[in-house]
Amino acid sequence: MFQKSKTVMASLAATVALTTSVMAAGHAKLEGDLVIFSDMSNPAPRAVMEGMVERFGALHPDLNIELTVIDREAYKTQIRNFLTANTPDVANWYAANRMKPYVDAGLFEDISDVWAEPELADLASTKGAMTLDGKQWGVPYTYYQWGVYYRADIYNELGLNEPATFEEMKSNCQAILDSGRKCYTIGTKFLWTAGGWFDYLNMRTNGYDYHAKLTGGEIAWTDDGVKATFANWRELIDMGAFIDNHTAYSWQESLPFIVSGDAAAILKGNFAVPPLREAGLDDSKLDFYQFPAITDGVALAEDAPTDTFHIPSGAKNKDAAKAFLKFVVSAENQTLINNGDNLGQLPVNAKSSVDDDKFLKEGFEMLSSNSPGGVAQFFDRDAPAEMAKVAMEGFQEFMVKPDNLDKILARLDRAAKRIYK
Amino acid sequence: MFPTPIEKSSRSWQLTYQALLPAALVLWLLPLIAVAVFSIKPDSDFTTGNYWGLPTSFEFVENYGKVFFASDMPRYLLNSVLITVPTMLGCVVLSSMTGFALGVYKFRSNLWIFFMFVAGNFVPFQILMVPVRDLTLDMGLYNTKAGLVFFHIAFQTGFCTLFMRNFIRALPFDLIEVARVEGVAEWRIFWYVVLPLMKPALAAMAVLIFTFIWNDFFWAIVLTQGAESQPVTAGITSFNAQYRAAYHLMSAGSIVAALPPVAMFFLMQKHFIAGLTLGAVK
Repeated sequence: MFQKSKTVMASLAATVALTTSVMAAGHAKLEGDLVIFSDMSNPAPRAVMEGMVERFGALHPDLNIELTVIDREAYKTQIRNFLTANTPDVANWYAANRMKPYVDAGLFEDISDVWAEPELADLASTKGAMTLDGKQWGVPYTYYQWGVYYRADIYNELGLNEPATFEEMKSNCQAILDSGRKCYTIGTKFLWTAGGWFDYLNMRTNGYDYHAKLTGGEIAWTDDGVKATFANWRELIDMGAFIDNHTAYSWQESLPFIVSGDAAAILKGNFAVPPLREAGLDDSKLDFYQFPAITDGVALAEDAPTDTFHIPSGAKNKDAAKAFLKFVVSAENQTLINNGDNLGQLPVNAKSSVDDDKFLKEGFEMLSSNSPGGVAQFFDRDAPAEMAKVAMEGFQEFMVKPDNLDKILARLDRAAKRIYK
Repeated sequence: MFPTPIEKSSRSWQLTYQALLPAALVLWLLPLIAVAVFSIKPDSDFTTGNYWGLPTSFEFVENYGKVFFASDMPRYLLNSVLITVPTMLGCVVLSSMTGFALGVYKFRSNLWIFFMFVAGNFVPFQILMVPVRDLTLDMGLYNTKAGLVFFHIAFQTGFCTLFMRNFIRALPFDLIEVARVEGVAEWRIFWYVVLPLMKPALAAMAVLIFTFIWNDFFWAIVLTQGAESQPVTAGITSFNAQYRAAYHLMSAGSIVAALPPVAMFFLMQKHFIAGLTLGAVK
């Protein structure tokens, strides 16, 4: 796991630096060591990370960059160690509440000054996710959209259109049910998939700000707004919109239902697309729509989990680290690392061009221009880990036994009082 | 008391037996067969829900090629060898000596010391998880192969001592007395008289310990966390990517990981069965 690729760049890099623009101009010489710890350990992300280090090294030939790639799961426990002892200059992590413990403990550097520079104005869509206490604590490098992936061929067969309102969503669903299929496949065995449904139903029913306050512990789970969200959810459950026995499936195990046509759609992140394509759903059969509006006048907001880079407060070479962060979010680099050959996700810089992929284009379009309400991270990143676990267990229970709602909400409320304090 | 041997039973019962045996065997092995079949399926078979059918395409070379050449699997296999073999040697060496001491010498607390070794086997090892993890961390052995080896030796020696002591007790004590009368030093008695007689027990125990340690998953994930130290049982989970689990590769990896103990079993079958019964019946 600890494979060190030491990148000491030769002097021919100087010529590259002159032609490659952006960085070389203003921030001339960077020297010394730059130590980067990364959790991009899967083959494609790893190649991306190594590529970035190489290109950044070419721009700064006097800088000695040491990259350590750590297994993504192991990283989650190791970060607690290395942020306090043996600190790197740059480290990967996640946005929003997932970075809060380290921000609160003073382990991440405040980089509001970097965000104040004009180049970063193009990152507006993710700025909220990087902001805590009015300051910015890192930069994003990739994100992806959530939404409804549906079987276009089934919709065509039944003469249905992409729904824009909850009423249309329900009438579509009724037509699908009448044709002997289920509307949505879902596998709630590992809980988080139900968190996606709650995110969207709650953001559409009550709006992004309400949702953020709820996950932030400022609104009680027994609030009427929350009840309205669950009432909407219950309408779908009572219709029989979801597949049976969903608690027995993981999300991957829920995919066969949409592939076989027994279910018409799935609410999921863009990572569901590759397996569905491999299973034979080409772009004529698989399509995407934004989760429809529920309450009139509530601005649409989306889930778009964001992965990030941070500078630990114990970093030794902060100038070089800041330069690296700016390099990561530059439009050019963003276009490159998020294309289909690399991460296959969305660039965070609005000036970047997105890969020529139907779903990425729709997602980029949606997040850049049709998500005025804001961008949430996903339930288990927005709520504290402990609260997320209890709440998602509640969602799963609700999907199976909707009559238990009052008991579930009372339980969540008790848990919230203990967790947020 | 014992079932009638099948060759002495009636013809009709023999036929029923012959018909049912393969059916029971297949049913029994069904999960393993599923894993084996999955290991040669393409990834898309999982997404289309083709769990039990025939593979839509035959991906043996592709999947196993990835396991061996595009993952850390060879590293994990090597780790497993480097953990299992020293543990096996350590246990055999230590327990043959403790077994000799407890089996041959009569001293006051002999039985109590023996009970302590045995008692170790009654401790459910899960409750040791936190203290052992903290201990290895304090000793700087966390996330190292040596840490796993030391713990396994310490924990397995209890069982091995029981095994060895009982075996040595069953040896004719006269042999040792004769040697003593001849004035042979104690360590030479151990080396030249007792040890050669213990060969079947040593072999049986080595085989048993090998399979125990090779198949250990619990301590592998508690005490180690990366490709530099984890054995293959824990390494299989590295086919879980951030979003997706590659079940076809995980199946192929499991098959590869299971081969050494299976091969060991078939090669050393005689010792294996001896090992399971040796401690039980004296």
